[in-house]
Amino acid sequence: MLAVPKTRVVVVGGGTAGWMTAAALGALLAERCTVDLVESQEIGIVGVGEATLPHIRGFNERLGIDEADFMAATKATFKLGIDFENWGRIGDRYIHPFGTFGRGQGQVDFHQYWLRLRQEGAAIRELEQYSMACMMARLGKFDLPSKNPDDIASTFNYAYQFDATLYAPYLRALAERLGCRRTEGRIVDVELNGESGDIEAVVLTDGKRISGDLFIDCSGFVSLLIGKALEEPFEDWSKWLPCDRAVAMPCRTKNALTPYTGVIAMNAGWRWRIPLQHRTGNGYVHASAFISEKDATAALVGAVEGEAIAEPRVLRFRAGRRTRSWVRNCVAVGLASGFLEPLESTSIYLIQAAITALVELFPEQPIADSDRDEFNRVIDLEYDRIRDFLILHYHATERSDSPFWDYVRTMEIPDSLAEKLELFRRRGRVVKYREGVFLEASWIAVYLGQRVIPLGHDLRADMPAPDALARGMETLHGEIRTVAERMPNHAAMLARYCPMAA
Amino acid sequence: MESRAIRSVLVAGGGIVGWSAAAALKRRLPRLSLSVIAVPPPPEALADRLVCTLPSIVDFHRDLGLTEADTVVRAGSGYRLGTRFEAWADADYVHAYGSYGTLLGSAAFHQCWLRTATTGKSAPFDSYSAAAVMARENRFAPPEAVARAGLGTIGYGLHIDPLRYREMMRAFALHLGVAEITGPISDVRLNSDGSIEGVHADGREIAADLYVDATGPAALLRSRLDDQWEDWSGWLHADRVLFGQSESPDKPSLLDRAVAAPGGWWWQASAPGRTHYGSVYSSRLLKDSDAERELRERTSAVPEAPVAIRQGRWSQPWVRNCVAIGDAAVAVEPLEWTNLHLAHGAIDRLVAMMPDRDFNPAELWDYNRQTGAEADRVRDFLVLHYATGGSEAESLPPSLAHSLEQFRERGRLPFYEEETFSRDNWLAVLFGQSVRPRRVDPLTDGVPLAEADGAMARMRETIAIFVARLPRYSDYRERLGKEAA
Repeated sequence: MLAVPKTRVVVVGGGTAGWMTAAALGALLAERCTVDLVESQEIGIVGVGEATLPHIRGFNERLGIDEADFMAATKATFKLGIDFENWGRIGDRYIHPFGTFGRGQGQVDFHQYWLRLRQEGAAIRELEQYSMACMMARLGKFDLPSKNPDDIASTFNYAYQFDATLYAPYLRALAERLGCRRTEGRIVDVELNGESGDIEAVVLTDGKRISGDLFIDCSGFVSLLIGKALEEPFEDWSKWLPCDRAVAMPCRTKNALTPYTGVIAMNAGWRWRIPLQHRTGNGYVHASAFISEKDATAALVGAVEGEAIAEPRVLRFRAGRRTRSWVRNCVAVGLASGFLEPLESTSIYLIQAAITALVELFPEQPIADSDRDEFNRVIDLEYDRIRDFLILHYHATERSDSPFWDYVRTMEIPDSLAEKLELFRRRGRVVKYREGVFLEASWIAVYLGQRVIPLGHDLRADMPAPDALARGMETLHGEIRTVAERMPNHAAMLARYCPMAA
Repeated sequence: MESRAIRSVLVAGGGIVGWSAAAALKRRLPRLSLSVIAVPPPPEALADRLVCTLPSIVDFHRDLGLTEADTVVRAGSGYRLGTRFEAWADADYVHAYGSYGTLLGSAAFHQCWLRTATTGKSAPFDSYSAAAVMARENRFAPPEAVARAGLGTIGYGLHIDPLRYREMMRAFALHLGVAEITGPISDVRLNSDGSIEGVHADGREIAADLYVDATGPAALLRSRLDDQWEDWSGWLHADRVLFGQSESPDKPSLLDRAVAAPGGWWWQASAPGRTHYGSVYSSRLLKDSDAERELRERTSAVPEAPVAIRQGRWSQPWVRNCVAIGDAAVAVEPLEWTNLHLAHGAIDRLVAMMPDRDFNPAELWDYNRQTGAEADRVRDFLVLHYATGGSEAESLPPSLAHSLEQFRERGRLPFYEEETFSRDNWLAVLFGQSVRPRRVDPLTDGVPLAEADGAMARMRETIAIFVARLPRYSDYRERLGKEAA
């Protein structure tokens, strides 16, 4: 077993994807592989995903990263969810929380009791008033969740909003400590084996040749290895997700340091607001078929809250993915494998999912087909489910104030999403997966937040008498409110827990 | 919408499955009016007569508010922790209900065990399972006690006494307000749209908004709607089941036996005061008379007449206003005792997904998708026993082929939705049947071999010490009876 030579891994690209991969391989599979990473200072990094999902905590933990240290280094804030404005109708607002509605009890979902009372005409509060995460977000509070499952303060989860251009260097330091070798240089050629078609080496401007057994394509949109060299086709999803541009511009924070990301629907797309410790990230994701870059930029500049601290910068992309993410001896991670707009902060999650699958299916030489096939099956599942969830945000709307919204409201949607929508419309049923990034509460939040109102409910929710049920819900709301009010303000918590270096 | 609500449900079939469905529906959805046509189930309705059940039966009882005083003491049930598989592989092994080992560092327990196994030094996989050791030693403790001792999870199923159990469930259903109608069913009438208009029994026609077919494999109602049946006999060859009971019962045992034999396999289940035997075989490989003779010779059982089964399931158990459950929906051999479990799964789903009288196709589709996926994975788990137990199968269901390929390659078990048996259940059978992955998981590098071996030895020892102090099962069961009396 130990006589087997180590697999020579070459990571191409040193952005978030590249350094996350290098650090994970170094931390978990040091006995099995050597890691070379090639990056060029000349090429900027996209710095995707300033806002993240709670899964990143597990990733950092597995790498032995100290949370407070990491947050201070990346000037991070806490994130309890996403605040959606103007999606169902202009003026609408809802939170997609990282946490449950109500308290997980029995087999009947909390929202079913809520639906039943509403359908009976009872005067009850909005659903978010029964969610710990939503309450904390609305009050601008934050504290770490309780570990006691009976405690209402255990019913939420959290992620981070951080400066992605600082996360990669943070991981780089870790990866280099773990033995990863970094080479500076721009890749000018990819050498393929004439017989097998496998990648043998990448060649840099100065003629240096870096050979390897397994190549990880983290080159971003250019998709240098899997796209350009191996010519894996790109599946275009832009008919469902027409946004193909983003204009980004950070500004000084003027409004409150919210423990959530803001996502505001615009005439031809949506705008993000991501508060970090030192600034607020802003951007307008839009569809070039419906608005010019110039107009989008003007709309963004007009909307940001504080003084701009950089010029607006435009990014171009296309929604979709490579048909396969692992081809021959090349695994694509991050934007090289596909792109889904950052509406639900899935970019870093998709990187992480690919790394987790790669570590679990780390190959021998020669690479077994079963490893590649299983990796591609797992990644397909992730992409497909996120795709449906994103499409839902556009499609479930009553907005008819612009050609963009007319298009997405009336477009044909994938059957897999149409089935989910119909089930929810009937009696609030969420198609449950035990695996997958967005669980029940996420779907419920978006459906109800965007006016997909069920006609009926789960009949098991008819059991308690209406008065007793309404009283129970009011008690729950009171408990949530009291516990949230006692928590520190988000800014105070950050100052105490993980202040950035001045 | 409320005006379209289902008001009445007619359950056809007065076996365990029919009464359980009626009780659960009435208990959880009390506004429904429930009637049962109490036709006795035919002998080939396995879910209505098998003694061995899975741990899910305990959850089913809890959801209905039934206590163990009702379901165990008064119904004459016993506990069971698993099955010992004999002659399926080189050595016997125990598939028990509970966790096998606990996580060691960053790597899964089974991967560490596997690494040690390649050095030839590991103890059997089932020696790391509290449930398996308790079952072998025939000593019992409830799951809470095992969890408190830090020995992972265990689950137990019941040895039911089918007739007493059915009477208990019937009495409970009647107590809840379920109406009983005398059988037999003389006719099933259809509407022009192909839905059921009414069922004739007790000299009259009974109509309902929803019909639940629990009449056993004949599926007297469901079979009138279409004939889209998925046949599994290419993968699961057994088509006969022989039942027998001993006249001189053994001591009750937490562990059942499933013994591979030419043409199929046979079982022994020792409940309190009753020892049951049975034999499952393919009529192409074994004549009925030989099967009866062999069972008589091997055991002290008096066999009944063999019953014929046809393994498979309806493509869509629910069509329009009729849903089939139990053997009317899916027929599998008794191996791993999934028959009543699948019926319970269908009942729970029916309660949770109760639609209205429009029977919206999307809602039925979701029910059928989940129910079908659950049955298919049970099928895969059963086929696994044969495919890895010497008689190498010529073809496998694609989902099982995928699981086996991934496991044989690197000990990975890909995740499937609606899985009845957990990863550890699959591992118990795979390792028990000597299936060894080709590669050791690289993630085990993070746990040094000596450290893992030390932790594993301690795990085994802790389990052994804990189990040695537990009461003998017969004493435990006896005390339970006295306490309840």
